[in-house]
Amino acid sequence: MTSPQIEIQLIAVVVAIACAIPGVFLVLRKMALISDAISHSILPGIVIGFFITQDLNSPFLILLAALTGLLTVVLVEIIQKTGLVKEDTAIGLVFPMLFSVGVIMIAKNANDVHLDVDAVLLGELAFAPFDRLLISGMDLGPKSLWVMGVVLLITVFLLFMFFKELKVSTFDSGLSSALGFSPILMHYGLMSVSSITVVGAFDAVGAILVVALMIAPAATAYLLTNDLKKMLWISIALGVFSAVAGYWFAHFIDASISGSMTTVLGIVFLGVYLFAPQKGLISVLYRQKQQRTEVSLLTFLLHLNNHSEENERHLNHLNEHINWQKVRAKTVVELGVKNNLITIKHDVVSLTEKGNDFTKLALEYIITNKDEKIEHMKEDFFLFRG
Amino acid sequence: MTFFEYFQLLFTDYTLRTITLGTAVLGAICGMLGSFAVLRKQSLLGDAISHAALPGIAIAFLITGAKDSNVLLLGALISGLIGTFWIRGMTSKTHLKSDTALGLVLSLFFGFGMLLLTFIQKQPNANQAGLDKYLFGQAATLLEKDVAVMVLVTGISLFILLLFWKEFKILLFDADYATTLGFNTKFIDILITFFIVLAIVLGLQTVGVVLMSAMLLAPAAAARQWTNSLAVMVFLAAVFGASSGVIGTAISASQDNLSTGPVIVLVAGVFVLFSFIFSPGRGVLFREIRFRKNRADLKLKKTLQFMYGIAKTHDDFAHPHAIRILNHFQGYTKNSLSALEEKEWVEIKGQKWSLTQKGFREAKDLYNQQPIND
Repeated sequence: MTSPQIEIQLIAVVVAIACAIPGVFLVLRKMALISDAISHSILPGIVIGFFITQDLNSPFLILLAALTGLLTVVLVEIIQKTGLVKEDTAIGLVFPMLFSVGVIMIAKNANDVHLDVDAVLLGELAFAPFDRLLISGMDLGPKSLWVMGVVLLITVFLLFMFFKELKVSTFDSGLSSALGFSPILMHYGLMSVSSITVVGAFDAVGAILVVALMIAPAATAYLLTNDLKKMLWISIALGVFSAVAGYWFAHFIDASISGSMTTVLGIVFLGVYLFAPQKGLISVLYRQKQQRTEVSLLTFLLHLNNHSEENERHLNHLNEHINWQKVRAKTVVELGVKNNLITIKHDVVSLTEKGNDFTKLALEYIITNKDEKIEHMKEDFFLFRG
Repeated sequence: MTFFEYFQLLFTDYTLRTITLGTAVLGAICGMLGSFAVLRKQSLLGDAISHAALPGIAIAFLITGAKDSNVLLLGALISGLIGTFWIRGMTSKTHLKSDTALGLVLSLFFGFGMLLLTFIQKQPNANQAGLDKYLFGQAATLLEKDVAVMVLVTGISLFILLLFWKEFKILLFDADYATTLGFNTKFIDILITFFIVLAIVLGLQTVGVVLMSAMLLAPAAAARQWTNSLAVMVFLAAVFGASSGVIGTAISASQDNLSTGPVIVLVAGVFVLFSFIFSPGRGVLFREIRFRKNRADLKLKKTLQFMYGIAKTHDDFAHPHAIRILNHFQGYTKNSLSALEEKEWVEIKGQKWSLTQKGFREAKDLYNQQPIND
């Protein structure tokens, strides 16, 4: 590996970690799209800052742009408070307007500004090592590494300082204000950190892919765990993985690094979305199918309980009486037999003793409680699940 | 070129006419279908889908190698639809919320699209230039053929809209009722979503990926402030959308260095701002005026109630009292007294006031009124 390669990967890793941390909280607070809004509406801030400083990595520009990001949040809240439109409409109105203002400012001053909308939106990590931080002639490494390093340090510091407050205000804002941690303060704190992160990162990975780096690791982690600390660690690990794997993939096919980082994130998310053990699509669908069969069995058991006459309990009448398809009826009856809840004699189904107990308990449960609570009863009685 | 020269040129210049017609039609269809997106609380779907369309464009180019905009838009439509249904799948089958699902589809698809675009750019075939116009939109590249497609699609969606008007409306406001009436809600839902995606994809070439969401939302959000009727809203939104298209094109054509997309969006934004402030029913301005009027009215009635409290202690309610004694009560001013007199609730004679018959009855019934719905 050459030294620019190492530097690029280092920058990518730092950006990914810095994005993943606020991203977790944005996803948990159902504000994921605010990151999208901020990442677009910082454009006018960047342009004005660039007019003044002529340097995309100047701290002043970053601050100004971050303020524009906060302005977006405030504007969205003001519009929402008028009650004229819903929150998502407010978000959808504010950021394209600010973005348009930025685009027009760039277009109007195209001759004086060496700033490209493409560059802001898409970024180019491959060029990042060329912009060096020079202090009295000493080469201290790429500027954007320093910028993002500082942002990351601030983020991590704030995370450790306010972890408890953030946690409480994220999951129970009522409790948080009762305990004396202002949820509003936490909200704006988080918004400020997200704003600064987005601004610091746009130069390297572009405004839209910042959104991917914020949301995708957090969403993937959310499908794997319900523990906040674990979620943070998984997101960070995913961010780092996507940074390194994305770099080499891009290197291999000779394409945009940020695009390939996002693609890696996308593939990982797709995999987790499909195969996550508890919350993945396949296990959810399987569980739903299981539950359908079990509910059918329950209905069938109750039906048996109500009828002593043989013709109601004859196998051939199953699809007539409870209106099941043949296959369905077969799975349900098999499940019942497997669990020793019913016995079949000469094609006539009858409840076993265990089945009787279960039905009685279930009936009682349904009358007195919410019927979804029956889940743990099934665990007691069912050796095999649907 | 000035603003007015533009309108003169409009009838003679081919390019201007094409672009103006294109943006107007686009504004109209976006406004029309955007109304449904806004009311279905899918406002940000536009943002997500416009980004999600990018890989479709790139893949369509990779497969066909042609830059025919209709082929590319077909690709965009397919990947936009995949994005939409994935968003649905995520929100219905996992515990990820809609904002996360939208953000994921938006950024992941876009990132993949970027990867493909940069990949295409490195290919040794010179045909690929111009694909990035879909990122920011270039109204100037609109051809008569593109506009014809737009008009055709608008016509079809208008026809479908009218044909399924009742179904769309009932699904919008009471989906459960629609199901109990036996409508195939799934089908209607997919139909309207399909047309919203179609409108988004259609706008990519003109206003680009980023600004498409505003194109879809702004006319509808503006129209919503003026009416409570769906039909009027759809119509108004189409008018607002078309006007912002025309005005935006005119402004950007009459100045140097102004790209059309952002200007159209800003014009639409002005419509929204104007509607938020000045709409008579919901606007901020008139609401504030109404609040003030109600507050003043309430104060006046409080003063009257106080006077009633004094007058009640006398056998004759019209017995005059000195104005001085009202000083105990802070809500009295010269103006409020004359306002009370104007309403013929009190009579002022010199330094004394007395309740009239009308004022006495008003004060007595003040707390016994039936609520009036206005």
